[in-house]
Amino acid sequence: MTSLHSPLAHVELPEAHAHAGVTLREDKFRGHLNLRGNPQDEAFTSAAEKVLGVALPTAPNSAVENDAVRVYWLCPNEWLLLVAEGAEGQTEADLRAAMEGQHIAVTDLSSGQTLINLSGENLPEVMMKSTVYDCHESNFPVGKAVQTTFAKAGATIYKCADGSYDLVIRRSFADYIFLWLKDACAEYGLAVQ
Amino acid sequence: MLHIYCPYCEELREEEEFSYSGEAHIARPTDPEALTDAEWGDYVFFRKNPRGLHHEMWNHAAGCRRYFNATRDTQSYEIHETYKMGEKPSVTSQGAAQ
Ligand SMILES: [Zn+2]
Repeated sequence: MTSLHSPLAHVELPEAHAHAGVTLREDKFRGHLNLRGNPQDEAFTSAAEKVLGVALPTAPNSAVENDAVRVYWLCPNEWLLLVAEGAEGQTEADLRAAMEGQHIAVTDLSSGQTLINLSGENLPEVMMKSTVYDCHESNFPVGKAVQTTFAKAGATIYKCADGSYDLVIRRSFADYIFLWLKDACAEYGLAVQ
Repeated sequence: MLHIYCPYCEELREEEEFSYSGEAHIARPTDPEALTDAEWGDYVFFRKNPRGLHHEMWNHAAGCRRYFNATRDTQSYEIHETYKMGEKPSVTSQGAAQ
């Protein structure tokens, strides 16, 4: 028997604010898979598309998604796949079956990473304090995914259609990033869902 | 802070995302056994330390995690170009940009 513990299971929630400028929601236990292969190899790209239902994005800092998966471009031969909780095992098996004999790698990172969503009217201020990446909408439009630093820790940041940000961070940094956010959002009010 | 253009991410990023990785274009000897100790020592330990243009490797450590090359002026810190691994610099001390 295994039981899952959220990387943020232990944190003490801040007191409820009447007006929270920033809201943090942990999208815990998502399936995180790292996929590597040669994007010039037609057999590889078509196998990935067959399994995922979307073509692997090849433009730098881009992402694609459908109902089952979101795919981030990480570098010219590497992608991060985000699937629903519990779907990572089947997705990995399907990819391996479809790519039988190819020079590829699929790695399950689900227990090493977690995903948090940040939203709220004071989000731009908090992003400016927290990341070196320029989050102005002219530089960071909806649908873009960038690997950068957040509070000096590595993060993959995705701009969602509703204007919020999804951050993929390392599990071991979740506690530190939460404490950073608690402090960085102190003047705006932080709500945790 | 320097803004460095990553040739793989195809955008300017903050220096904080990068780490410096030393002189570029050092080819590993094809037949190490045939080298003298002095030649092997040169390959392993000795690096250029120019005042002016320098071709060097950087790693986009917090980004795509790829290594790439940069031509940087060690005196002014100006980065003249960045280019992918396996490519040749277009700015050199022989033919530096006017
Ligand atoms: Zn890069």
